[in-house]
Amino acid sequence: MSEPILKVAGLAKSFGALRATDDVSLDLRAGEIHALIGPNGAGKSTLIKQIVGELRQDAGTIRLSGEEITPLTTAQRAKRGLGRSFQISSIAPEFTVMENVMLAVQGATGRSFRFFRKAANDKALTGPARDHLARVGLADRADIRAADVSHGERRALEVAMALAFHPKAFLLDEPMAGMGTEGTARLTELLADLKTEAPILLIEHDMDAVFALADRISVLVYGRVIATGSVDEIRSDPEVRAAYLGDEE
Amino acid sequence: MTRETLINAIIVAALVIAPLAAFAADEPFLITLATKVVIFAMAGVGLNIALGLGGMVSFGHAAFFGLGGYATGILASHALNYEPIFEAPFLIEGTTQMLIIWPVAMIAAAIAAVFIGALSLRTSGIFFIMITLAFAQMLYYFAISWPAYGGEDGLSIYVRSEFPGVNTLEPLQFFALCLALLLGAIWFASRLASSRFGLALQAARQNDQRLQAVGVAPFNIRLTAFVISAVITGLAGALFADLNRFVAPTMLDWHTSGLIIVLVILGGVGRLFGPVVGAAIYILLEHYLGGVTDFWQLPLGVLLLLTVLFARGGVIGLLAGERRNV
Repeated sequence: MSEPILKVAGLAKSFGALRATDDVSLDLRAGEIHALIGPNGAGKSTLIKQIVGELRQDAGTIRLSGEEITPLTTAQRAKRGLGRSFQISSIAPEFTVMENVMLAVQGATGRSFRFFRKAANDKALTGPARDHLARVGLADRADIRAADVSHGERRALEVAMALAFHPKAFLLDEPMAGMGTEGTARLTELLADLKTEAPILLIEHDMDAVFALADRISVLVYGRVIATGSVDEIRSDPEVRAAYLGDEE
Repeated sequence: MTRETLINAIIVAALVIAPLAAFAADEPFLITLATKVVIFAMAGVGLNIALGLGGMVSFGHAAFFGLGGYATGILASHALNYEPIFEAPFLIEGTTQMLIIWPVAMIAAAIAAVFIGALSLRTSGIFFIMITLAFAQMLYYFAISWPAYGGEDGLSIYVRSEFPGVNTLEPLQFFALCLALLLGAIWFASRLASSRFGLALQAARQNDQRLQAVGVAPFNIRLTAFVISAVITGLAGALFADLNRFVAPTMLDWHTSGLIIVLVILGGVGRLFGPVVGAAIYILLEHYLGGVTDFWQLPLGVLLLLTVLFARGGVIGLLAGERRNV
């Protein structure tokens, strides 16, 4: 088996006596969607924050394409190819949809220290930005202020921004949160398409979406990964049923 | 042409016509007043890059304004007294050439801004406001207590500095010089706002986390913008010293910092010509109401209150509608 794109090994983080992340190891292989599920308070967000570099772990390592990224800042990790979307839509609200994606393209290509040329006339920014918007179905919403588009469109915008990055790995934090049934279906399609681009670590509450999309699932409970396996394995795992899935039936 | 462009064109026309009219009416003092408007506007254009684009509420821009002023004052006083500034290790003499004074003023402001910004930008919000204030006050008290350049009494410059081909002592010509610089600064600010750098800077204002997620470190963007902002305000300070032919520590005082913020807010935060309108309102109120009553700042305060409460985009926002980004 080839080297996993993203490899988390022995990660631990405590807040006082609370072990928010307790010896977590997981990997993300090329071409897969690896879903991370778990009840509220299981430590999913804490784990994501450590992977992107907003929180520093107490122990353990994180590798991206074999490179240890633990000492890097959030911005540096992003530059190395960690494409992230947020649990709560994180966009620049006063920018248009287009400008948001242009910003992401700019971040990916570097060169933020250009002071004179109009960014809006910069084909190196607008070209890719338009392509990414088209891909997520937002082409005709390009000139609307990001604050004024619908919730679902904002999630799609996040995906476009992550795409613009040509990341080595996507980290999607609850992309379905707050979406209606139809929106979820559309986004599910989009994510299936996205995984051809780069593997996805998907944190998600929507079980239907997870079971439809995921190649592998890891279950996080009280900061520990209690099981990792294919959709069928997880569905039939008694421990998982007791801890999590059982609640829903 | 958008409405804002039209309004901006009218403002430029007014800036050109008003002093010409004053010249025709033989009212040189009004030209000086207009020059003051232009210079304060320029200080505001500088602050507006930090405040309007980057969301950095600097309460210490007087530091840069004053440094620019002292650059003029110190260089000119040495030149006029025929005393070199340094003899060892190499000779540096004073000068009255604006073409040398300006870069010195701008570099001085830049160096101070790198230092102040690098420390202040580790904080945000109210702490950023207080730390920038503290640094400016440090410079203020330093200027007061340093006797070599006049200390508390300030420093007089006997003759206005020179610019090739311009008689700077002629009010209208000095005004034209200042106006050219102001328009240059505004042009630069407009290019900056719509550049890649401007995109990143405005993103830093709106959503720091997002900017990091696209791989750009907000600190570097903010610090660069802070320095650019300081340089423009520093240049305005250099002009202000030449206008008055006098530099005093009050240029470094927090009142000055507050004044520059007030100009920007009155005219419109983040609006290209906002500081021009703000400066015009302030200077005209000071002159005309100040002649009537000592309490002329009371109506100014009311005006500022109304602006903050009901016209968040300032006067330009009121006239031209909501701001459009990039």
